[in-house]
Amino acid sequence: MANITYIESNGTSTTIHLNDGWSLMQGATANGIDGIVGECGGSCACATCHCYVDEARLGDLPAASDGELDMLENVAAERKPNSRLACQIKATAALEGLIIRLPETQE
Amino acid sequence: MFSFDPYSPAIDADPFPYYKQLRDEAPCHWSPEAQMWILSRYADIVSAGQDWQTYSSASGNLMTELPGRAGATLGSSDPPKHDRLRGLIQHAFMKRNLLALEEPIRAVAQEVFGQLRGAKRFDFKDVSSQFTVKVLMAALGLPMGAEALVPEQEVRENAVLMVQSDARTRAKGPEHIAAYNWMQEYAAKVIAMRRAEPRNDLISNFALAEIDGDRLDDREVLLTTTTLIMAGVESLGGFMMMFAYNLASFDDARRAVVANPELLPDAIEESLRFNTSAQRFRRRLMKDVELHGQTMKQGDFVCLAYGSGNRDERQYPNPDVYDITRKPRGHLGFGGGVHACLGTAIARLAVKIAFDEFHKVVPDYKRVADQLPWMPSSTFRSPLVLALEVQ
Repeated sequence: MANITYIESNGTSTTIHLNDGWSLMQGATANGIDGIVGECGGSCACATCHCYVDEARLGDLPAASDGELDMLENVAAERKPNSRLACQIKATAALEGLIIRLPETQE
Repeated sequence: MFSFDPYSPAIDADPFPYYKQLRDEAPCHWSPEAQMWILSRYADIVSAGQDWQTYSSASGNLMTELPGRAGATLGSSDPPKHDRLRGLIQHAFMKRNLLALEEPIRAVAQEVFGQLRGAKRFDFKDVSSQFTVKVLMAALGLPMGAEALVPEQEVRENAVLMVQSDARTRAKGPEHIAAYNWMQEYAAKVIAMRRAEPRNDLISNFALAEIDGDRLDDREVLLTTTTLIMAGVESLGGFMMMFAYNLASFDDARRAVVANPELLPDAIEESLRFNTSAQRFRRRLMKDVELHGQTMKQGDFVCLAYGSGNRDERQYPNPDVYDITRKPRGHLGFGGGVHACLGTAIARLAVKIAFDEFHKVVPDYKRVADQLPWMPSSTFRSPLVLALEVQ
């Protein structure tokens, strides 16, 4: 279980209580957070769940896989050092309180 | 006593009342008929779909698996093997790489649906199956025209037959196995053809692909190609039948999308939620799991009833209403997690173009029959015939 805070590009902030194992993308799409699209359903194939992870917490996340790194080259908004795909980050207790910011566009 | 038999013709025709009872009264239900557990709530299905380490696909993902298939295809393997296979294929199915197909798909749609000019009554399957096979042939690079190995209709008929099962024996019948074997033989011929003279198409690239210096083994190439043809033809065709069924049944939705085709994508998403053709897939437990007071044992099979999760009132208010303004994000119409459908982008694109062109020729229509013949399948659901009358 982890509480994750999503901050959309217009400043709207929403905190979601995520079950272990749910991806941050699923937490957003199942709870009406519009800044994440997740068009491919979570198979790391569309780059529409781009998010910026709070830099201080980057070390709490498992490193991005090669597939995620490849797909990050396709994001619509600016790619930054803290860019990740929300479908590849699964909720665990280690992520409690994590804040992610969502880009202006996903497509 | 309540039971859920995914082989029953009653479930083929209308699973939704049974799903509701499952969700409310037995959210972790052992089906003796199917010999597997049935998960029916949205949250449970999402959790299971994410946890491939526990809910493995390597023993097969079809509710009634085809012989020799498990372990050799994308849908029936787990990471890291799954990711290796998928990495070779998914590039071709990404939205931005499909732009080149948009005009060819529209040309196919104009040709196929143009045949309906002047028609008073027709079976939607006749046009949707022609459209589907032609689109898949173009997308996968199957031999067409002068190069064609078999008539297009045979590909469609065998794809539809191989996903069916026998309601009486609760297994694949000889006709289903024969269709599966037909498709494997067809795929083998296409692979041999593309290996001999490679072109810039998906099957050529896949058949010749190497990972770390090793070629894929022949069984992986053969069964993955077989599955791409089956899944593409059957799933796209089945979904188009369901979408036409919904638009023919719900007058307000049909009139809205005909008046404003820009609403088609929203109507497609709602159809994927409301009653998509891919109703149920299965997994196998790699360890014991406790859920809703039941203990599911390691080795047990588990059905993920996507079609039920999509009607879960815990996730979607008024789930039994077909509402094209709903924008049902997070729906399970394409599954979810690592095994989410490979073809989401091409399916959305092709169906939008198809119905845009269909409605230019036939802007108003209704169903002729109230009762429809439904495909006998434990995994997929769509009508075998959909007679429509032009209004």
